[in-house]
Amino acid sequence: MPEFDSERLEIADGLRRQLAVENELSRPQARAFVRCLQTSWQVQTIQWTERDSKGQLSDARRLLHAAHVFREIEGPGSKRAIDCYRRAAEILEWLARAADISRRQVPIELLAAGAYQLGGLPAMAAGLMAQIPDEHEGVALYGAFLRADFDGVLRRAANYWSANPDLTVPAAGRLLAASEDREDIERVGRYFTIELIRSLGLVADSLRRGDDARLARAMDKLQALERMAMRILSDDASLIISLLYQVAESYRKASIYGAVRALADLNPERRGRLLAYARDQFSRGRGVLWTSQLQGIDRLRQESSFALCTPTGSGKTLIANLALVRELLLREADGLAPLAMYLVPSRALAGEVEAKLRSELGSDMTVTALYGGADWGITDTWLTGDQPTVLIATVEKADALMRYLGPILAARLRLIIVDEAHQVVPEANENTRVSFSEHSNRAIRLEQLVSRVLIQRPNVVRIALTAVAGGAAGPVAKWIEGRADATAVGVRYRSTRQVIGVLETAPGAQGRILLDIMNGRTLYVRGQEQPVYLPLRMPPMPGIPARMRNSLNRFNCLSVLWTALHLVEEDQRILISVAQEPEQTMRWFQEALLLPAWANAPQFRAPEGFLRERFDEARAACRDYCGEASFEMFLLERGIASSHGQMPQRLRRLMTEMIERRICPITVATATLTEGVNLPFDLIFLTSLKRRSWDQVAEQQVVTPLPTSEFRNLAGRAGRPGAAKGIEGMTLVAIPTREAATAPKTIPVQRQQRAELQRDYDRMREALLIEEAEAGAVESPLALLLWTIRERAIRVLGVEPDDFLDWLESTAPTEISDEAGEDAADRRSRLADAVDELDGILLTAIEEIAKAEEQDMTPARAEEHLAQLWSTTFSAVAAEQEAWLEEAFVQRGRSIVETVYPDAAERRRLYQYGFTPLVGRRFEEVAPQIRKLIEEADTYGEAEAAARIEVFEAIGDLLTDDRGFGFRVRSTDTDQALLERWTDVLGWWMDEPDSFDPDADALRGWQRFVTNNLEFRLGVAIGAVVAQAWSEGAADAFAVPTLAEWKDITGMPWYGFWARELLRWGTHDPFVAFALSQGLAQTREAAAGRREEFETWLDDDLEEISSEDLIDPQHFLRWQLSLGRDVRDPFDDLPELVELTGTDGRRRRYNVIPARRDGRVGWMDPAGFELAQSDDIFDEFGPGAIRSDYELRTDSVEAHVHRVFTAGR
Amino acid sequence: MHTCEPPVATTEDWLKSYPSVEGNYGHLLLEQKMALSPQLVDGLRPYFESAHLDAREHFHAQIAIDLHPDADAAGAHACYPNCLPPTARRGLFGEVMAGLLAEVYQDDFVGAHSWTVPIFLFRFHADVESYLWTLARDPDRERQIFGRFGSDFIGLSLDDDGEIVRLIAGEAKWRNHLTQSAVDTLMLGDYEDDEDEDGERVRNGRGVWFEINRDTPVPHGLRQLQRLLELRAPDDYAAAILSIDRAIALDGPPLPRTNLILISGNGARRREAGDYLIPWEECPEEYTASHDLQVIELVLEAGADLIEQIYSSLWRGRADA
Repeated sequence: MPEFDSERLEIADGLRRQLAVENELSRPQARAFVRCLQTSWQVQTIQWTERDSKGQLSDARRLLHAAHVFREIEGPGSKRAIDCYRRAAEILEWLARAADISRRQVPIELLAAGAYQLGGLPAMAAGLMAQIPDEHEGVALYGAFLRADFDGVLRRAANYWSANPDLTVPAAGRLLAASEDREDIERVGRYFTIELIRSLGLVADSLRRGDDARLARAMDKLQALERMAMRILSDDASLIISLLYQVAESYRKASIYGAVRALADLNPERRGRLLAYARDQFSRGRGVLWTSQLQGIDRLRQESSFALCTPTGSGKTLIANLALVRELLLREADGLAPLAMYLVPSRALAGEVEAKLRSELGSDMTVTALYGGADWGITDTWLTGDQPTVLIATVEKADALMRYLGPILAARLRLIIVDEAHQVVPEANENTRVSFSEHSNRAIRLEQLVSRVLIQRPNVVRIALTAVAGGAAGPVAKWIEGRADATAVGVRYRSTRQVIGVLETAPGAQGRILLDIMNGRTLYVRGQEQPVYLPLRMPPMPGIPARMRNSLNRFNCLSVLWTALHLVEEDQRILISVAQEPEQTMRWFQEALLLPAWANAPQFRAPEGFLRERFDEARAACRDYCGEASFEMFLLERGIASSHGQMPQRLRRLMTEMIERRICPITVATATLTEGVNLPFDLIFLTSLKRRSWDQVAEQQVVTPLPTSEFRNLAGRAGRPGAAKGIEGMTLVAIPTREAATAPKTIPVQRQQRAELQRDYDRMREALLIEEAEAGAVESPLALLLWTIRERAIRVLGVEPDDFLDWLESTAPTEISDEAGEDAADRRSRLADAVDELDGILLTAIEEIAKAEEQDMTPARAEEHLAQLWSTTFSAVAAEQEAWLEEAFVQRGRSIVETVYPDAAERRRLYQYGFTPLVGRRFEEVAPQIRKLIEEADTYGEAEAAARIEVFEAIGDLLTDDRGFGFRVRSTDTDQALLERWTDVLGWWMDEPDSFDPDADALRGWQRFVTNNLEFRLGVAIGAVVAQAWSEGAADAFAVPTLAEWKDITGMPWYGFWARELLRWGTHDPFVAFALSQGLAQTREAAAGRREEFETWLDDDLEEISSEDLIDPQHFLRWQLSLGRDVRDPFDDLPELVELTGTDGRRRRYNVIPARRDGRVGWMDPAGFELAQSDDIFDEFGPGAIRSDYELRTDSVEAHVHRVFTAGR
Repeated sequence: MHTCEPPVATTEDWLKSYPSVEGNYGHLLLEQKMALSPQLVDGLRPYFESAHLDAREHFHAQIAIDLHPDADAAGAHACYPNCLPPTARRGLFGEVMAGLLAEVYQDDFVGAHSWTVPIFLFRFHADVESYLWTLARDPDRERQIFGRFGSDFIGLSLDDDGEIVRLIAGEAKWRNHLTQSAVDTLMLGDYEDDEDEDGERVRNGRGVWFEINRDTPVPHGLRQLQRLLELRAPDDYAAAILSIDRAIALDGPPLPRTNLILISGNGARRREAGDYLIPWEECPEEYTASHDLQVIELVLEAGADLIEQIYSSLWRGRADA
């Protein structure tokens, strides 16, 4: 280290510690931020003087200097430099957005954007630049470059060259050296600028194309300009040129082409395709990789498994894509078409992931999300084809597939991607413990599924993706890599800024926002400093009738709605997140919106054109599934989207689209909306931080606070860079500051409720701040299950702790409780069911091994395998565990084989059913009856609706009385009444003519019944029977199911194939389910309308039509093919004949961009030299043309321009 | 790096000096006493070439990279600073002279510090930059786009360990005719369009005094000087580089500093020997900064020709007589 480096570092670090510690804002910094927010919200700002501005600007400059020192000595990766850049960028951003006078001194937004880029926060750079109005063309061009908007740079550069044709002749590159115009003092500055535009244009174009040679030349020039600027320009201007150069250098290093070329070395044949992929990423604005992506790609190249922890919106998808490319496309083929399993936490997310993957990789591999209910989907393409396949599935779906097609899957499986992998970490609370007994815990499903795959395919590559930093990331990394010393790849930062606070509501008064926490740090010291408020500039909510204000919660919810309606006017996208019972909130909203006093509230304007079509489709689906009189429909018509877990899947996807496309500015939804789905909200309101439920055994209300993880996940969805109002997303908890009621008896009650809301918020706030500071230990699902069993055995049964293992080895669930397996809520039954859950895990694991090895299982071998399995579980790898846990797991497994379920054939069947074994045993009693009913449904195709629905009813009747595999509802009167009339629900859901419809209030209850019992329980029961039939009929475990053989092998009519699909789409007609799933119709009615078309086609196609022909999926598919693909021929790009103007064509090939030239097209080198011209015959070269790539090719005769890359929309 | 020793003998032959120091105010009047001659130009040229060498290399390095796709190897377009317009050259001349005079006359300067100029920055005027931001030529534009420019010249005083103990920074201005009114305009700003209540013409106050009084504790340009030292002589100037870190990054007392104002040009027609334009007896009241102030009046004859001859002869051998 040179002589004074340590002292230089010490000076810089002193400043860093003083001004740029990651989780601390100095007082003046916090004030600057608050002022910026207040300016953005156009409200009165705090006291601020020119001196404050000068102080902040000077701090920012000093931090930039410190960052320079760190970089100079520690290199570009210096973490301390990054700290300094980030804080400098923040300070500058806050000044810029507050329209500070320092903007007159220097374009501080450019300094901020450059500092954000070098600080590794590109989204912040982009967000900021989108906020600041372009005053000067040059500032705008450099700004586009600093936000990595290369298309924008080229568009502006092309405009510049169009306006200055004299600068595009070949000699113009040497203008400064020429001696004409000697009296022009501005000449130096002007020619410097021209060369700068040339360089930036060439850098932008070469980056996009991955042309390293031209890029190197442009970088040399840019560096020379930087060096020159250091000498001839002012300090500030030269600083900005330096930032441009350094940022360009960082782009060069982080270009996706580098990563892709390295991957292509694995299989040079795919190189061209990979380069096209890279170019496409540039056109999607993702060509420059984030630090965490570079780290992830590095790991991909090393062929290892890893966990990637990086915030939402920072490009996890890209890593997943490249992993898919690597494992599915680049590897040597070994005969079987390779397969990747992409596990997602919800069906909604499956849709999102599928759409993304299809658009980027759809031409290289089969991407299927298996939306429907059928176990392997409506088509068998992915099974029978020899194309690489990505299967996107929820854990439940993947588990079912494993049981059905395990060996085939395992043989093809190369890669598992676990999205939102932190969901493997359970919350250690009573809900989780109960979920074990109810067999509904997802964390343990995920843990077990991955472990089971690993036992069969130890070398399969695993990649875990998570947005949650802190606690879960480390353990997830250990689990996914299977090493205790593994750490997550990625960096801890937020891609957007998150503010948490309170919306203060009060009757008859304007609301105001109290700002509390910004990115995990407090904005003011409570009790010592003035709280920070944003008063809202909108009229107070009109008075509401007593029946509305007598509920404080209702008043609070309506205040939120009122606020939201007004904020929409300011282009805010708002989520009103409801903890539970969304139908109640929706009803309240409807009733309020119908009040005369609310008539003046801002009105929603439906969009025009394409968006209008989308909106109308959502309305049609909403009308179809919810009814004209539903709250959902009422709100949707007013621009308020709704979403909850029980909403039919198709409608949910459309609602999501309404939010994504910003058609509906307000959304009311439960937390299921935002699990893993990246939706754009500026503002999230919560009206409660707890959930209430009824414990039927204890006969008391159970209050569960919202877990901080849920709150954090929710808050993480707020904020979208580029929003009109601000870069920060706000999550606000609404709390009334006064009682809403006027009745003397109600006031004290409401006072207490207010205090409670405040307490809940304070507790959440504290917990968030504490968690921010330290990552606590995490729970593991299997360990938690074992602990739960142990604790309950000791507490409920009085088992001595020392005897626990013996007890566990020898006890059957039925010995613990007579009601075991029946979802009884007493403590003994809960314990019995928890043991049954464990048995299910063990039995599944043992059977899969037995099946794969095609050998009978012995207790000793079970023990050996289970020990191995244990070692791969999250519980074993993620944290140090007490030794008894493994022992308990393995011993219990041994007794499964030895004593509890000793009959191998029974174990095989129980495994196949997919229920926990105790439940499965009882299911076995009805399974033959279900099978018989399915087998008899061979006239389903030609049957009338009523007869069709009777088949479901008959099967459902077998499920009504059993609480294990059968229907389950809560013990409330409403739900019990619904169970009584479940056939009405069935008729309504299956679209039976003249069925009973629920009214708006009852709708969600019906939907819940459909989701939990018809789609899920009835569907699972039918699925289990069908899977069983398949396994029995199939010649061997590796038989690939095909539609052609399906009937022969199962011995069932097509009804068996369709039943689950019908339950999922809510129709009795397989054709309707098919048409909806293939996007051939928007509503069930429209789908039914197309049946005639199909039947006419079928009539021409077949001599004789049987009942089965009417629902044969193979006919459906052939009919669909006969419709012709709705794909236009790819535009055949004829090369354009051009006339050379600025080159003799000696290099044969030139990169060119189009620029307008007096009604013609000038084909410019991206550095601003015109090379050729042509007529714009097709008027093709509009402003969008710059996004594509063109190449000028010359031979001895002619010159043509070819389009070599076409940018998508 | 600028390594040429100052041409002491040539300067003393060329100029007659009238130094004075009152408290923290130094005034140095320099009058040309020898006619413009090839010998004078030859005597000054090495210093000028040395001062311009660094900038020249980088100018050339930049110009040599022609981005036209057909351009071959780097072209030889050696021209800097010769190619610059005369106005720009006069500015450069002032900056070089500020360094030269600080080195030659350091004993006569206020404080008698020893001054060195390791490398010259040759920054153009702020209005040269407006095109950089607007991408448009606007002949009517008077206002510069962004308002911070700073010193024309920076020199250093180093201690035995190479640390910076004092800075000299300031403005170097050329006027063809050094009349009282030209200098007043320079120092106090132009007249406003409107007269004051008494019908007197009023100056806008935006002259050199204003700029020098309001300058930041760390002179603009010091960061750039440090970057150049880091790039060109990191070992020789390691201690100086460290001093600049301290000056920029730390919140402590700023480096001691001397402000320099160099006004050069041809003497007015009726000027008598020893006539001065800025008072020397005591520090002008317009100066309000706390730093030492050194004013130099450099009064030449045929100064424009001198500049022309020096600049047209740089790297070209002898000037034409």
